[in-house]
Amino acid sequence: MSGAFTKSMARNIFYGGTVFFFLLFLALSFDTHSQLPKRDMRANITPQIAEGKKLWEVNNCIGCHTLLGEGAYFAPELGNVVVRYGDEGTKAFIQSRPKDGIPGRRSMPQFNFTDEQLNAIVAFLKHVNSINAANWPPNSQG
Amino acid sequence: MCAMTTAALIPPETPQKRLPGDLAIWFFILAEMLAFAVFFASYAFARARNVEMFNLYQQTLDRNAGALNTFLLITGSWFVVRAVQAAHRNDQKAIPRNILLGFLCGGGFLVVKVFEYAAKFGAGISMSTNTFYMFYISLTFFHFMHVILGMVILTILWVQARKGVYGSHDAHGLESGAAYWHMVDLLWIILFPLVYVMR
Amino acid sequence: MQFKSQAVAKPYFIAAIGLFVGQILFGLILGLQYVLGDFLFPAIPFNVARMVHTNLLIVWLLFGFMGGTYYMIPEEAETELFSPKLALLMFWVFLVAGALTIVGYLAVPYATLAELTGNNLLETMGREFLEQPLPTKLGIVVVALAFLFNVTMTVLKGKKTAIATVLLIGLWGLAVFFLFSFYNPVNVVLDKFFWWWTVHLWVEGVWELILGSFLAFVLIKTTGVDREVIEKWLYVIVTLTLISGIIGTGHHYFWIGTPEYWQWWGSIFSALEPIPFFGMTVFAFNMVNRRRREHPNKAAVLWALGTGVMAFLGAGVWGFLHTLAPVNYYTHGTQITAAHGHMAFYGAYAMVNLMMISYAMPILNGRAANSNKSQVLEMWSFWLMTVAMVFITLFLTAAGILQVWLQRVSDTPLPFMVAQEKIALFYWMREWAGVMFLIGLILYITSFFYGGQEEKAA
Repeated sequence: MSGAFTKSMARNIFYGGTVFFFLLFLALSFDTHSQLPKRDMRANITPQIAEGKKLWEVNNCIGCHTLLGEGAYFAPELGNVVVRYGDEGTKAFIQSRPKDGIPGRRSMPQFNFTDEQLNAIVAFLKHVNSINAANWPPNSQG
Repeated sequence: MCAMTTAALIPPETPQKRLPGDLAIWFFILAEMLAFAVFFASYAFARARNVEMFNLYQQTLDRNAGALNTFLLITGSWFVVRAVQAAHRNDQKAIPRNILLGFLCGGGFLVVKVFEYAAKFGAGISMSTNTFYMFYISLTFFHFMHVILGMVILTILWVQARKGVYGSHDAHGLESGAAYWHMVDLLWIILFPLVYVMR
Repeated sequence: MQFKSQAVAKPYFIAAIGLFVGQILFGLILGLQYVLGDFLFPAIPFNVARMVHTNLLIVWLLFGFMGGTYYMIPEEAETELFSPKLALLMFWVFLVAGALTIVGYLAVPYATLAELTGNNLLETMGREFLEQPLPTKLGIVVVALAFLFNVTMTVLKGKKTAIATVLLIGLWGLAVFFLFSFYNPVNVVLDKFFWWWTVHLWVEGVWELILGSFLAFVLIKTTGVDREVIEKWLYVIVTLTLISGIIGTGHHYFWIGTPEYWQWWGSIFSALEPIPFFGMTVFAFNMVNRRRREHPNKAAVLWALGTGVMAFLGAGVWGFLHTLAPVNYYTHGTQITAAHGHMAFYGAYAMVNLMMISYAMPILNGRAANSNKSQVLEMWSFWLMTVAMVFITLFLTAAGILQVWLQRVSDTPLPFMVAQEKIALFYWMREWAGVMFLIGLILYITSFFYGGQEEKAA
């Protein structure tokens, strides 16, 4: 079998194939965007939830925890923490972290949040829990 | 695939077994067919777990439109074969003419498909409606995009053919494009019975 | 060295290796924190150490990419670099910005850093891998643009080879997709959706073009196989990469609130992602087997073969292991992900940079290759680091399987921390493998200073 194999053909296929699959990806993303409002509960986002997300970010919570499975794997999943601990339990947990940690154990820092901030964080976590994430996580332990 | 088997079956008078078209396009074709094959297998897997639902919604598909489209694509492939044959016997007029006819068949396919989609989308059906429609839309749309890509390739071939690039001396690019077009056809010939007919 | 301006690559390589050492040291700290939870607490909490570890990784890989590009572009384009001065200036800008960022992470609490650096103007911080303060992000954009300008101008005035073209597309893609790091909507699903446009389309998209291009360049130089042959295979491989990898992004859209059809699209296309990696391995071995000359730099060839194999194992095999949606439902966000991430980054990107450094550094120092002694040492470091990484990956995989079992599959699922304590043994073993990696890295650095003089004439 002696087929020709030319660089120019390989190059054209590279360009054509890349553009083709990128357009297909854009088409799928476009459809995703039309479907998202039904799943991401954006209608429920309040300024308090937005504040909670900001606190989540500026304290780098993702550096230890996962949220919907994304992040670090050092500490528990928080997308469903409100299911495990409830609103008050979650707040109490964050509040009660000892400043110098617990000897020998993984410890969460003490962030000295105000009550208002704690409420915002819990509101954000509850919002994340309300997102339709295709039944993930498999159970309440995350 | 077809072209490869044909090549293997050519009687000994041809000096050497030859792969028509560029090896690079065959890599691309193999990769594409692999993607479709995994998609088809996924369809079979999902269907096996929910046969009644798949059968129920399969009946909502427009089989006549599908059959018409099958006819259009096979005809299109036939024209493209004629274009390659014309190149081998150096019939410069027949090459672009047959490519154009192949292109028109592809265009016809798209028109039929757009009507079919309009009916489905108009009824509020989307990829998120249920697993059957997810596969129906994903597979046919993925294929639809391939028809468009095939038509882009035919357009390039047509422009080149009109410039007289192809002939008995060189049909390399033409054969490469033709092989891709046949793949688009072949995929539909699997897709149509699988999604529209088989139960 | 064919062109004087290639010399600007040297500081980039040195900085890359320096930051690599930092990355590994912080990796060891993190590994220890996994088993001795209060280690360095509260001075350096886990999240800070992790941020330093991953950010150093990204920055040193970028230094390596830039250095490698500055080294190879003049040779490919057959002309001096457009502006070596700009390249040196950008080196210092990037190094200072990078160093200040790391100091910022370590010196003040992250929230304070966010406050100080204007995160309130445009909230981009606090997302995994994109933790950099706004000025750093803008700095990255400026450095990237100046770098791209410099390189593109060089190619425009010189020869435009396929290798250079693929590299440029990869680098431009890198810059373009980084822009999504500035988009951080309040809607967390959208945030995550586009976060992957930076992260996934980098590592499973455009970075692979850089990887392929570097590999092709070193293979041409060390094997003497025809450029024509190598370049057309390069095109085939990067085509396969992008047709599987772009829609393969879907494997991140299973459980973050995106529509469920991604479970099918993502699974199907990412199942194809090992193919280009396999192709790359076969390609590297084939070209070395068909070599027309014996290049004196055996170490560089070893790295070239190694990066093919390890990228295939780490990105290809370990990626496939948990990419199918029904599997990923259980493994998502566990140590399985960590195992895959470690081997994939090391195999694909750390090793390709080390390959380029291994090939280019002796030449930048005025010899075709290092002395035999030095190369033997370098090859020892190759095996130590690579075997250590295999062990890290295996131990994390074992930890991950147990974690999934105890915490997710079991009829009586255990809480996260309880499960973690039960698998601590594997974290200890991972830490020891990490120590082995560090020894390999020390040997690697030693090889630069060892027996380098004796064959200077070579």
